[in-house]
Amino acid sequence: MATRGGKARLIYCGLSLGGLAAGFPFAWMLLASFMSRGESLRRVLLPERVQWDNYIEAWQEADFGLYFENSLIIAVLQVSGTLLFSVMAAYPLARMQFRGRDVVFTGVLATLMIPEAVTIVPNFLVVTWLHRNTPFAWLNSWPALTIPFMASAFSIFLLRQFMRGLPNELWDAARIEGAGHVRFLFQIAAPLCRAPLLTVGMFTFIGSWNALAWPLLVTNTPDWRPIAVGLQQFASEAGTEIHLQMAGAVIATAPVLLAYFLIQREFTEGISISGLKG
Amino acid sequence: MKPKCAMTLVWCALLWACGGQQEAVDEQQTSLESLDPQGQKIVFWYQHTGQREDALQELIADFNQTNRYGIEVRGEYMGRYGDIYNKMNVGIQSGSLAASLVVAYQNQARAYYQADGVVDITPYMDSPQWGLSPEERSDYVQAFLEQDNLGGMQIGFPPNRSMELLYYNVDWLRELGYDGPPATWDDFAAMCRLAKEQPFSKNEDPARSLGFLLDVDASRLAAMVFSRGGDLVDSTGSAYALDSPEVKAALELLQELARDDAIDIAAERDVEVNEFVTGQILFSQDSSSGLPFYKSGIEDSGLAFEWGVTHPPQTGSRPVVDVYGASVSLCAGTPEKQLAAWLFLKWFTAPEQQARWVRASNYFPVRKSTARELEGYFEENPHYGAAFGMLDYGKSEPTMAGYERVRRLIREAMIEAMEGGDVEQVVEELQRAANRTLEP
Repeated sequence: MATRGGKARLIYCGLSLGGLAAGFPFAWMLLASFMSRGESLRRVLLPERVQWDNYIEAWQEADFGLYFENSLIIAVLQVSGTLLFSVMAAYPLARMQFRGRDVVFTGVLATLMIPEAVTIVPNFLVVTWLHRNTPFAWLNSWPALTIPFMASAFSIFLLRQFMRGLPNELWDAARIEGAGHVRFLFQIAAPLCRAPLLTVGMFTFIGSWNALAWPLLVTNTPDWRPIAVGLQQFASEAGTEIHLQMAGAVIATAPVLLAYFLIQREFTEGISISGLKG
Repeated sequence: MKPKCAMTLVWCALLWACGGQQEAVDEQQTSLESLDPQGQKIVFWYQHTGQREDALQELIADFNQTNRYGIEVRGEYMGRYGDIYNKMNVGIQSGSLAASLVVAYQNQARAYYQADGVVDITPYMDSPQWGLSPEERSDYVQAFLEQDNLGGMQIGFPPNRSMELLYYNVDWLRELGYDGPPATWDDFAAMCRLAKEQPFSKNEDPARSLGFLLDVDASRLAAMVFSRGGDLVDSTGSAYALDSPEVKAALELLQELARDDAIDIAAERDVEVNEFVTGQILFSQDSSSGLPFYKSGIEDSGLAFEWGVTHPPQTGSRPVVDVYGASVSLCAGTPEKQLAAWLFLKWFTAPEQQARWVRASNYFPVRKSTARELEGYFEENPHYGAAFGMLDYGKSEPTMAGYERVRRLIREAMIEAMEGGDVEQVVEELQRAANRTLEP
């Protein structure tokens, strides 16, 4: 029979193996990005000499500067919009009593069952109609890339679950102080939802950063194309030059990793509160 | 008397109908002749990146500067073939197609044509004013034009083509006691088995030594089937024939060699190129458009071995090679835009532009006279020259609209066979599933 210490060691061994399996592709990507082409072809594990030039070459060849800037603007707009609309939708579903509330919530949840691919054509039709019938350009610009994704059923669900747990005493106290729902939401409830808000923000940021099919549909020029499009283009261009492809991949994934490291505690908390797991 | 009257009526109706049809064609031709493409702005969606895109953009800029109608073409990268296909389908469905020219494989063009997204190019080719002279027309490789011909409708126009080639390591073959590439599939199998036992002397990782690494793709199988005298479709061209003896033979050979560990499946993209250039595999079957990657890979690997290209091993007396490539289709738009798009296409496929395009892209030209302008290029690139000489043996893959799905089914069947599945059963299921895609 294994002792408690033995059990713990076994668990840690298993977890370490899992961690290694998950981390190895990333480590290889990083190492290969510093190799010469010959080294990447021979599949050596470590580069003899660190090739920083790979990053400069990848950055210049793929025009990553432009794509990076586009992705940042798109991500900031999309994260801000999603947070705002999700908070405003989640609050009444969690804290207010009105007729049909549960039906509305069920409807919101039901949209999670629709595969994304099915919504592409209707979304494109809507955006095209808006492009033709509204005074500002939707296609080839930021509105088509951000606005259709600002209403997220998943984010509403996540925030609603958290807001339901807020003590009623807070609301009572706010009422005594003369606060209405809007003031309570933005001054009391939202600051308390820091963890789920950061989780929603992180998920939205990742989704926006990695988006490929939709941006290709609604843009025709690089002016507003995000980094995933740039990376795809560069991957075709680099062909069998794995070391350059990996340098491009590191450039494209670095902001997501950085964002995760900055908020990992809140992110994990947000996930555990909502009962979700990856 | 009555039957005679009826016959007369039928004849009259037929003559009227034929006359009507001819009138319609004439009218279309007349209206085409009177069109003015002056000042049209058109968009060309393509998948090229890097050096190819740069060259294409230069060509487009030259056309914009020199064409006497002031036509302005704008070339736009739209992702890979699959992305372009999605974008076209969504654009057709929403009635907001922004492109006038689009790169498309034959099966994709067929799907667009069925959805009224692209138009028949024949009237433009035949036009006395805008079309091709008889000399120009005969200068195109007819087999390439036919690949885009759907029952008399030209739904695409070829700007270039590629070919399925067998890349081989000459030095390693010599070490194995052979003085040339395999002539038959039996030779190929024997060489692969030997390569497994006797690694290449310059291979830095002799533990990895294989005859062949299969990039699982329908074109790989098509080339193997064509080289055995078979086809992926039946004699009518309207149904798949994926349970033919040639398909079975190809899959059985792959299975046997995989069982003997003489060949393996390429688990990553382009890994077959990397393993070939590092001397780990004796053969690679790949597109001719990959020639520059193999060349630069061997240079960068530092192994400096001699290599060559040839057609896949053959069963018959005359080689047959799989020649393929995306064409360019004319999207439905205003008649003026369509005409402007055709004029660009015609200019793009003229020998001078073709020669420039070949040098930048390493594709094969579609006009025979381009060869005259490429003599120096053949000398500089002997492997390309060798492959160019095999163009006459070209045969194309199916052009059915649902072929993309069938390609996926073929890939699955190849994997199943190589993993030891019952080949007889695998091809039967493949045949059934493939023909199901043809049902309305």
